[in-house]
Amino acid sequence: MTPTHMNIMLAFTISLLGMLTYRSHLVASLLCLEGMMMSLFIMATLIASNTHFPLVNIMPIILLVFAACETAVGLALLISISNTYGLDYVHNLNLLQC
Amino acid sequence: MAYILFTLSVLLVMGFVGFSSKPSPIYGGLALIISGVVGCVIVLNCGGVYMGLMMFLVYLGGMMVVFGYTTAMAIEEYPETWGSGLEVLGGLLVGLMMEVMLVLWVLSLDEAVVVVVGFSDTGDWVIFEGEGSGLIRGDSIGAGALYDYGRWLVVVAGWTLFVGVYVVIEIVRGN
Repeated sequence: MTPTHMNIMLAFTISLLGMLTYRSHLVASLLCLEGMMMSLFIMATLIASNTHFPLVNIMPIILLVFAACETAVGLALLISISNTYGLDYVHNLNLLQC
Repeated sequence: MAYILFTLSVLLVMGFVGFSSKPSPIYGGLALIISGVVGCVIVLNCGGVYMGLMMFLVYLGGMMVVFGYTTAMAIEEYPETWGSGLEVLGGLLVGLMMEVMLVLWVLSLDEAVVVVVGFSDTGDWVIFEGEGSGLIRGDSIGAGALYDYGRWLVVVAGWTLFVGVYVVIEIVRGN
């Protein structure tokens, strides 16, 4: 495993940590989700190029398609939250609070 | 120039730290765009011409634009950047410090005997081409195989996108 692979996996882990911690905005976690998808795309493309196995390039393309779907649904939820509460602050989502 | 790929991956990690330290989302989007550009150049350096182009078009041109104007709709009056407030700045500095120390540690390794990570097998990163039809091989063949071996996958993915649009409309409808 070369240091470039290590750096890309580190980028994935940093985005994962950023997605799991909330500060004030919800859309910041969606951005970290996008970062995770991008690091997975880069990793899969590098593996496809370095093992000289171009058929594996199907996987990052399909990953990008489903990441786009996921982004669309996440942003739609964000818009509906923003329509209800005015902003997408995380502390507005307290209906299930005991 | 020999370490260009490693330098770009370090810049990628720094860009990722930039939006994972959670500034206001408009600055996070900016950091994600910069990380996307760096990642695309990484992909291009390894010979993935088609995948780099697709990443620019679909990812940066499509999804980031959508993120940009959605964030513009749901943003506050005084967005906090990396320099305002100790939380974001602290997260950014901790991330950058971690990456710098990791780079220095990796560069101090001589042999990849004790540790897995090392520079000893960077010969794998050489991209070679066979003779004949050298201009149309590469990544484009894999993307073309998507429509040959994976035609049912293309149908399913297209149908998923269509249903996703319908789901989005139903969510945003509200009542």
